[in-house]
Amino acid sequence: MPSTPRELVRRALRFEYPERLPRQLWTLPWAGIHHPETVAELERRWPSDFETTQWFYPPSRRAKGDPYRPGESTDAWGCVFQNIQPGIIGEVKDPILANWADARDYAPPREQLPEKGTREWDEALEAIARIHVGTDRFVFANICPQPWERYQFLRGTENAMIDVLMPDQGLHDLLRRIHEFYMTELELWCAADVDAISLADDWGGQSRLLIRPDLWRELFKPLYRDYCDIARAHGKHVFLHSDGHIVEIYPDLIEIGIDAVNSQLFCMDMAALREEAKGRITFWGEIDRQHVLTADDPTVARAAVREVARHLYDPAGGIIAQFEFGAGARPASVLAVFDEWERVHDEATRQGGK
Amino acid sequence: MEKLLKRLAVCIERGKVDADSPYPPELKGEDGAVELTRKALDGGCPPQEVLRGGLMAGMNVVGAQFEEGEAFIPDLLIAARAMTAAMELLKPHFDSGAIEYRGMVILGTVAGDLHDIGKNIVRMVLEGDGWEVTDLGVDVDTEQFLEELTGNPGSVVGLSALLTTTMVNMEKTTAAIRERFPGTRVFVGGAPLSEEFSTKIGADGFFPDPQKFAKHLSALPEQEGGA
Repeated sequence: MPSTPRELVRRALRFEYPERLPRQLWTLPWAGIHHPETVAELERRWPSDFETTQWFYPPSRRAKGDPYRPGESTDAWGCVFQNIQPGIIGEVKDPILANWADARDYAPPREQLPEKGTREWDEALEAIARIHVGTDRFVFANICPQPWERYQFLRGTENAMIDVLMPDQGLHDLLRRIHEFYMTELELWCAADVDAISLADDWGGQSRLLIRPDLWRELFKPLYRDYCDIARAHGKHVFLHSDGHIVEIYPDLIEIGIDAVNSQLFCMDMAALREEAKGRITFWGEIDRQHVLTADDPTVARAAVREVARHLYDPAGGIIAQFEFGAGARPASVLAVFDEWERVHDEATRQGGK
Repeated sequence: MEKLLKRLAVCIERGKVDADSPYPPELKGEDGAVELTRKALDGGCPPQEVLRGGLMAGMNVVGAQFEEGEAFIPDLLIAARAMTAAMELLKPHFDSGAIEYRGMVILGTVAGDLHDIGKNIVRMVLEGDGWEVTDLGVDVDTEQFLEELTGNPGSVVGLSALLTTTMVNMEKTTAAIRERFPGTRVFVGGAPLSEEFSTKIGADGFFPDPQKFAKHLSALPEQEGGA
């Protein structure tokens, strides 16, 4: 009997020769606005093997507006975003904790989370369980701990970058509060019927990490380790997304137990990445959004898939065919990606893979 | 005085703003860029010498380290913060003409784009390299660039974009500048950009990091905005 999508993903993560490559499409609202037919075609021809549970938290008292619409919106943490392009999330221009004095009484949106042992907690777990039972796809928890991104939203990017150099001035304290919130949130989601949790923080620039690797290891790696530990304790997989050049921390991510990483492969030396990580972690996509998917000629996308495959593909597993259909991507190019990945896997399995 | 300027350069390079600054820990309690700049000026050092031998020297060191991959964005930002604080003391000397800028650079993130961290770093590095920078901010339409050029002809223009959807606006702005102000140098920067894109839209170049941009500007002939 062929594997279910969930089994396929698990086999890819465990290097147990999935019969086809698991796949996942990330669709930004921009794509739905500008290319609805292409989004529909992608979903019809290459349905996702992943599903994310619904968001069931009560509405936040702090949140206002739609972040994907032009104008101002406020999220559950009270961070205010400015946006001028429909379908794209905006930018924080006036961080609410730019002054440390404002941080003293600040609290993350703990009020949104159900208390353990209450009826709300049980109802949340039951709602998630119903989703898991009702699908054969690989189910992600509908949360995304992002301590660095959140820290930047609260303090502003420039302040945040400088704070890492002198963490005693307030970073330790604010980051601890953010982390405690995420740990509480993870306690709930790891107790629920989900297959994985995902984390997301952008750690790379175009050619190197944003901050010194030793500082990353001192300040942030322990947080991700905690997230991995709680997930592991409950038998959940851990996926992580980071934009930018992060080859230097791949060994750390492997060490703390991240199962799959979504990173900008095309910013990095894929040969170096192969040396550091192939066979020890799953490459959760991607295909370059800056130059490849925006190219008019779909052979560019096909060549890009082949480039990833040449360095990182293994018929045993360790690859998830994933990309983001976002601003500026061309329909013919995005359609070519999944098609080419199918060819890569078919050719490899015909040539002797399992 | 030479020793004092060297100390000033170290304070800029390491991001030691003033005596109260907690960073870097090994310079705790010592004078920072503000105090040393004041001492140099009070001691009779020509403002131009303070700028070149202290502020620019320090920024050049951290910029070179960044280019070599030895320094990271926080290091650049904290150095720029120290430089900006010290520059406040030099401002009256710029206003009086005792110090001359290398030239003017007009910077802005193009229309439709609100991202500015990259542009801001470029601004700080260029200021630290002795350029007068007019930062038009984010979501800047072509007319705003043209208006600024009208008031400051001969300036170099730097266009920034992070989104692939707003890169197209660079082409429009570049073409309009070329038409109204022929000979103006227009450079582009931002994560999704490339030299190929720069050439395609008729810009004068793309630089992946601020230090390379600063070096290129400094090497331009004086009549083209360089010094």
